[in-house]
Amino acid sequence: MDDDASPTLEEFRARAALSGLPLTPEDIEELHKGYVGLVRLMVRIPKKWDWAAEPPQVFRADE
Amino acid sequence: MSKRSSELTTLTIAQAGDLLARREITATALTEAFLARIAAVDHKIASYITVTADLARRAAAQADRELGHGVRRGPLHGIPIALKDIYETEGVLTTGHSHLRKDHVPSVDAETVRRLKAGGAIILGKLATHEFANGAMTPDQPFPAAKNPWNTAYQPGGSSSGSGAAVAAGLCMGAMGSDTGGSIRNPAGFCGIAGIKPTYGLVSRCGIFPLAFSLDTAGPMTWTVEDSALMLDVLAGYDPNDQASAKAPKVDYGAASHRSIKGMRIAFARGWHEDATPDTLKGIDEAVRVLRDLGAIVEEVVFPDLWDYHICGRVIITVEAHAIHRQEVIETPQSFGYTTRRRFQLGAFLTAEQYVSALRFRRQLQLDTRAAMRGYDLILAANQWGPPEPFKEPQPIFHFLDKASFAMPFNVTGQPALTLCCGFGSDSFPLAFQLVGRPFDEASVFAAGAAFERATPWRLHRPSL
Repeated sequence: MDDDASPTLEEFRARAALSGLPLTPEDIEELHKGYVGLVRLMVRIPKKWDWAAEPPQVFRADE
Repeated sequence: MSKRSSELTTLTIAQAGDLLARREITATALTEAFLARIAAVDHKIASYITVTADLARRAAAQADRELGHGVRRGPLHGIPIALKDIYETEGVLTTGHSHLRKDHVPSVDAETVRRLKAGGAIILGKLATHEFANGAMTPDQPFPAAKNPWNTAYQPGGSSSGSGAAVAAGLCMGAMGSDTGGSIRNPAGFCGIAGIKPTYGLVSRCGIFPLAFSLDTAGPMTWTVEDSALMLDVLAGYDPNDQASAKAPKVDYGAASHRSIKGMRIAFARGWHEDATPDTLKGIDEAVRVLRDLGAIVEEVVFPDLWDYHICGRVIITVEAHAIHRQEVIETPQSFGYTTRRRFQLGAFLTAEQYVSALRFRRQLQLDTRAAMRGYDLILAANQWGPPEPFKEPQPIFHFLDKASFAMPFNVTGQPALTLCCGFGSDSFPLAFQLVGRPFDEASVFAAGAAFERATPWRLHRPSL
């Protein structure tokens, strides 16, 4: 499955089965809605980066 | 409750500190006044999970002995405060508002708690929170939801819900909160108090339940901006046990809160909140006018899109929170509240590539924000879209999909962000805005926030319970 495409509920169920999590049918339906919502917003995050764009984790006072 | 007692619980930390130093009041009287008020009114807002009355009385007696001998440890000596229940406290229940930790009694204090005690603060107890600083307050959790003291049918905001409610209700002089995606600033705004998310790395997180390592911050929530500055004076400093801790120069934040702001340059992120409620727009415009009258130069500046920061932060929180709680959502999923469980499960479906892209995007947003802020000392931004939410069931699982957060940009950039009250809406709920500094420039944030409070009447209005 393409990570950036919005999966159908059926496709998402297949993925949930491989997640290692004990999920109820209700969990999976809710998680599907959440995942599709996140993926829709994640189009804003660029995928191609120069290596120099690696992020620091901590601000430095002298930065 | 006697008039004298109610007068004590409405003092600011700065006022009480002066009175304690002059021996005009005692820490014991102050502590007894707060314990009496907690007993009288906290059942209406459920802000406390645990009240540590005996420990507080002993600490107050010790503070009085020291102050009587002329020993003053600092601005919090003898000051009653409380802690969000994700701060570990030696010998005192620390639950995270969760069934999973409902019997957890740590053997060591969090570094922040150690610093507060060393500074002479009196710990009154532990405060309600959204479960593990993330899930909504739902009936399947072991403690009741904290309520908004301005109207108890409404939520106080979260995740530092009990901290915001307790400070606004006069049930402690200051409280500790934590802020990963707005959890200090949301309740500060909705409860009409001050709260600062310090620069990432300024305050130790050691001994505080984590939500997302690379975004978590700990900070104070108080009735006034000056009081937050006084608390940060005690809290800030390097901690070798927190890998993100920074070796930043020591600053006197209390003194900074009395600086003039004449000539200070403020970048106004007006474009972010054009769809906020009319009351919110009016409150922020009025705040801009006050700051200009105080001599600040406020100019509109265009920043990156609010949704860019929002999704960047949400991906990072979702993945890191899953990593932290994965074992428990596998072994005991039923022990979580129904919103918390799903929010912690969701991270299992994001890939390493998506997470790393979000980290790289964070760096890009940090650089773009810094570029937009060039030539300015502070950013002025909205804090909330409108009034708080009423209590209702069921609650949204993924609350973050509908509206972008005004708080998240400064979790993503790591900058210090202060929320403060700028009036009251037609519905009587508090209005609020944010003042945001450059990394490690909390001093300018406090200067502007405290000057604004001194120039406005909003600190004279308290909720009645």
